[in-house]
Amino acid sequence: MKEAQGKKLGLQTSLKKHWFIYLLVLPGLLYVLLFRYVPMYGILIAFQDYRPRRGVLGSDFVGFKHFINLFSDPYFFKVIWNTFIINVYGIVFGFTFTIFLALMLNELMSSKLKRVLQTLVYLPNFLSWIIFGGIIILFLSPSEGLVNGIIKAFGGKETYFLIEQDYFRTIVTVTNIIKNAGFGTIIYLAALASVDQQQYESATIDGANRRHMMLHITLPAIYPTIAVMLLMNLAGIFSANFEHIYTLYNPLVYETGDVIPTYLYRMGLEKGEYEISTAVSLVFNIIGLITLVIANKIIKKMNVVGIV
Amino acid sequence: MLSKMEMESQSNYRKSMRMKMGFNFYDVFVAVFCVGFALLCFYPMWYVLLGSITPYSDFSKTTIPVLPPLVPDFSYYGAILKTGVFYNALTVSFAKTLFAASLSVLLTATMAYAVSKTHVRGMPTINWLVILTMFFSGGLIPNYMLVKELGMLNTFWGLTLPWLLGATNFIIMRNYFVAAIPQDLEEAAKIDGANDITVFFRVIVPLSKPTMAAVFLFEAVSQWNDWYSYLIYAQREPMLKPLVWVLKEMLTDPAASAGASGSNIYQMSRDLAAFPPMGLKMTTIILSMLPIILFYPFLQKYFVKGILIGAVKG
Repeated sequence: MKEAQGKKLGLQTSLKKHWFIYLLVLPGLLYVLLFRYVPMYGILIAFQDYRPRRGVLGSDFVGFKHFINLFSDPYFFKVIWNTFIINVYGIVFGFTFTIFLALMLNELMSSKLKRVLQTLVYLPNFLSWIIFGGIIILFLSPSEGLVNGIIKAFGGKETYFLIEQDYFRTIVTVTNIIKNAGFGTIIYLAALASVDQQQYESATIDGANRRHMMLHITLPAIYPTIAVMLLMNLAGIFSANFEHIYTLYNPLVYETGDVIPTYLYRMGLEKGEYEISTAVSLVFNIIGLITLVIANKIIKKMNVVGIV
Repeated sequence: MLSKMEMESQSNYRKSMRMKMGFNFYDVFVAVFCVGFALLCFYPMWYVLLGSITPYSDFSKTTIPVLPPLVPDFSYYGAILKTGVFYNALTVSFAKTLFAASLSVLLTATMAYAVSKTHVRGMPTINWLVILTMFFSGGLIPNYMLVKELGMLNTFWGLTLPWLLGATNFIIMRNYFVAAIPQDLEEAAKIDGANDITVFFRVIVPLSKPTMAAVFLFEAVSQWNDWYSYLIYAQREPMLKPLVWVLKEMLTDPAASAGASGSNIYQMSRDLAAFPPMGLKMTTIILSMLPIILFYPFLQKYFVKGILIGAVKG
């Protein structure tokens, strides 16, 4: 793609020759600089006693005071642990379920049925967490919800699922599977579509049954995709979906359900602790950046497609 | 993506397999599992739809409703559609979706096209500037402070401008310009005397319409579903509530759940106080899903493609 001639042009000649290209890039570039890069100077307030009236440049620097406060607060560690453990659940249950679902969809004999089912399982992915979470809230409602209706029909007592600490992570994991597992199969199904069909035919001749073929031909075919997706999941082990948690949680389940993004939202915008919130963002931004770079390096080494 | 030939060979293989194996336990398990999960995904939505068209007295009697009533009852819809807050929220959601998605496509497409010209000085650097934003950002408070300093808090601009030009869509468009539009075509046009401008408007824009449509859909869905911008940047301005946020208030406000008037959402109309809250909630859910459902055939097609292109970011 590189043209030697382009490299040699000075900035002025380049501007003159390609002025239209520069004109095209300008609005987008200005947007990115203004809305993505200008805010980065605000990170400075993590190291300050920020006074809105004095602004970022006028406030006093206090070094790592806020970071030290943060890391001596046991509640903050609880938040980190919640985020971590919810992601571990996501990998152990959600990630494996998605793969299993992809394999099962792939094994379906009727391609018509497969198309219909794909349409149904992709659908929740397109809904806002408020809509989907809202459906879940109604479903689990103690007085009128369907789940409690069934429990009561069997003579059980109504359960307040969403205010029960012990249930919260399970609810998050299960709702995440229902909303996203279907759509998550796309990438595996695409990888499966390119498996050489002759392998199956010769395996049939050798007397393999379908289950054997799934375990020994189909599954190995998506190992690289699985590895990439697993690495991406691991890289995001300290991230969480704000909208998912925010839609479902309430103060009664903070103990098990408060995660980093919801914590920094409440700290920052509800309590006005700008410095603490920015410090939290900064720490996990850096952790996220490092893990992603490492994950991407490993993926590139594995000789499959890299992420950037 | 499956090519036609692969699909054919796969279905041929399936047919031959079926003939060889006949009907067996394995197939039954696979089908039951897949259908079961699909029902798990679909039934909650169906349940809500039934709740919105069944009179509450009937709906609350059935434990697991399955069939719609013989005569659907649209009184919830009538009541909600009569309220001013609903119309206001609907207008905000539509305006936000159309404006932000269009502007985003415009910014993304022009920038991605320019950056795809890697031989032009500066473009590779600009490419990295955009990609970096995927991995590092100022964070909640610095972004909030910027929007505040720009005077956009609690305005339509605060609701729409902060989240345009996503890096993923940028990559999709850039790769499209690099890979799918033959360089020869541009060169041929230039030999015929076209300059950069005519090439862009006469060759590039017409050729990239399908990709721009896809990116428009991605942006439109995320804008329609977005309430984070409202929560962070516009919460002091009730006139800017998007539809999903009205729903959120309805669902979580305990006073609203108890049917008390005077709380946020029930200020929207005294008429609504006469209806059971559960039915109103279900109806609002259905109404806010409606645009997504209407466009779903397109959405499914383009999103599947988008995922696959996005996976090969190169």
